[in-house]
Amino acid sequence: MFSRIWAISIKEFLHLRYDWWLPAFMLVGGVIELLLIGWATSRPITNLPLMVLDHDQSASSREIVIALENSGTFQLESQVYDFQTIEAALERGQINAAMIIPPNFGDEMASANGQPTLSVILNGSESIPATTALRTVEGIARNIGEQVTVKRMGIKPETLARFNPSLRVWFNESLSEALYSTPAELGLMMEFIILLFAALTFSREKELGTLESLLVMPLTSLEIIIGKSIPVIIIGMLAFGSMLGMVHFVFDVPVRGSLGLLIILAFFYILVELGKGLVISVVSRTQHQAFLLVMLVGMIDFLFTGYAAPVDGMPQILQLLANFIPAHHWLEILRGILLKGAGLEVLWINVLALIILGVVIGAFSLRFVRRSLN
Amino acid sequence: MSIRHVLAITRKEIYHILRDKMTLILVLFTPLFLLLLMAYALTVDLKHVPIAVLDYDRSQTSRAFVQQITAGQDLELYAQVDSMNEVESLLMRGEVKAVLIIDPAFERDLNALRSLPLQIIIDGTEPESGGFAVDHIGWRAEEYINQVLADQMRSLGIQIDNLQPIDLRVRAWYNPSLKPRNDLIPGLISMVLGFPALSVALTLAHEREHGTLEQLMATPVTRTELLLGKMIPYIIVGLINVILIPVAAILWFQIPFNGSFPLFFGLSAIFLFAVISMGVLVGVFMPTQASALALSFLVIFFPGFFLTGIFFPIASMPEMIRMESLFLPGTHYAIITRGVFLTGIGIDVLWPYAVMLFVLGISFTAVAALFFKKKLA
Repeated sequence: MFSRIWAISIKEFLHLRYDWWLPAFMLVGGVIELLLIGWATSRPITNLPLMVLDHDQSASSREIVIALENSGTFQLESQVYDFQTIEAALERGQINAAMIIPPNFGDEMASANGQPTLSVILNGSESIPATTALRTVEGIARNIGEQVTVKRMGIKPETLARFNPSLRVWFNESLSEALYSTPAELGLMMEFIILLFAALTFSREKELGTLESLLVMPLTSLEIIIGKSIPVIIIGMLAFGSMLGMVHFVFDVPVRGSLGLLIILAFFYILVELGKGLVISVVSRTQHQAFLLVMLVGMIDFLFTGYAAPVDGMPQILQLLANFIPAHHWLEILRGILLKGAGLEVLWINVLALIILGVVIGAFSLRFVRRSLN
Repeated sequence: MSIRHVLAITRKEIYHILRDKMTLILVLFTPLFLLLLMAYALTVDLKHVPIAVLDYDRSQTSRAFVQQITAGQDLELYAQVDSMNEVESLLMRGEVKAVLIIDPAFERDLNALRSLPLQIIIDGTEPESGGFAVDHIGWRAEEYINQVLADQMRSLGIQIDNLQPIDLRVRAWYNPSLKPRNDLIPGLISMVLGFPALSVALTLAHEREHGTLEQLMATPVTRTELLLGKMIPYIIVGLINVILIPVAAILWFQIPFNGSFPLFFGLSAIFLFAVISMGVLVGVFMPTQASALALSFLVIFFPGFFLTGIFFPIASMPEMIRMESLFLPGTHYAIITRGVFLTGIGIDVLWPYAVMLFVLGISFTAVAALFFKKKLA
């Protein structure tokens, strides 16, 4: 039996050699892509183009402009002298924010009861940078306003009681975006690699008409399934290992928990996704169909990894659905082991969920694939 | 080049899509379906974020302070804990996103108007929720202390109306409430409309894998005609979605549409040409459908999602990636969709992006046609 399973695996590998692009893309392409995306997206939001229309040109207004420049959030465009320029730039989407300092700003700041105003216009058509810009401007106004209050009341700065908040970030001490986003991106790549590869196994043979010849050979359907799965598992594990190494060494993502446990669970997660991929593989008649289904399933799963939005904030029904998505539990496990150093005593619920889903999907997949092969 | 030849190929390709119901449904509705799903899942309003409080002071003042902080809908007091061990276990299991630690001298310091230490710990594996908690705790704390300060000042006989003298007037144009959904949905259109490009790459590789490409080449159809004929059905699929998606966005999600629809339709057609010619380029180079698919994911799908400025502003990306993003049709189209939906701008502003898309499309197609010849020769 093992020699026959092995024969099928060898055949699959020979097929890969004929089309060497595929394993190259899956192993090297995935790592390079992850590097590129991680590099592009794992940094604070900076360099947002900003225009300042300074009607005042006083020391106070310059103080504001310098504070804006020093914040790092903004990239100050050249000085502008009329509102039309700002209007046009906003309309063209060339700037994310604009600040208008009125002519009496310095006088109001200096007078004992003055009410200096600052106008800020944000480009709402890009809400994510606009929100960052808003936070920065608010912080600057608060700091400078506080200094003014202290001066006006004629007290020492330390007398003005203020909260002195100290923020500590656990599991991600420097609040590095990479530590958060790259594991999710890694999960996404890994899922698509396995799903794609698994989904194409039978659909390719079916489309090319070679499945019949495989079926008339003296092989049981179980042997065919296992033999075809082995290359997927090997490629999946290799891809996982190389991507993990990359995020660890390039993006400094730590491995605080047990690496052995992570590898075992990764293996199990690959089996679960493999089961899904095989079902897609036998229900689709062509590779084109298989691809479209992978697209659909993969994207749905990705939404529940908490990449762009935490699952806790989603509508109730989607939160419920998240429990049935293997990728959701896998990401909890991945982040838990990598960043929190969590072990089974914490992650058991996700591991259990993954096992239950794995057994259900696996059993269904095996039955389903065997039936459609027979 | 003969239009008749192009249309013959197009007709053959359309038959191919129509022959199988499942392919037809998937090709037609995947973009719309994924857009709807993403609109729900990616734009969440955080509410009731669970936090824990470790109150070392246990005074009346600190209790009042905690009450004020958790009074709203934004933060929820999940647990009052007594020790750092409990804090650790709550954060480890992800049950709370942030922990507020109140100093033992809280009440005394507040009455003495001294600087108040306030410790917040957040779960760095979920910076979104953690950052939200920090912002909201900060705002509430500020409100609280301003109130206390104003009272104290009044009792000291100092008249002060406002501790924050600078009046910051903020307006957000085009999306006054800064709702992420309003700009993410138009942005995501550029991503989901890229799916037909992946199908084109597949169908070209399909012909090669099945050996039917030689048969096609034996007919009087030229290479360029063949490529164009293959592109047209998927441009049509895309254009059907260009009608369906804005209708869903406007009716279902109440996204404003301030521009002109005919303009949007026309520019979308140019975008589809550009992105689909990217798919053609992939399909021409790859020997099998599997590798064509893998390459399309690497050069069309993932970059289209992450590197076109939908989620992460391009201005903040490294120089090299900013250059790369210029070659992605999605980057220019995302500006167009947001411009037409939210800003309501016209062709007078958008023409450079349209030109850029057209140039990209022509270049991709030309390179594809060139190498197509060589590969077959």
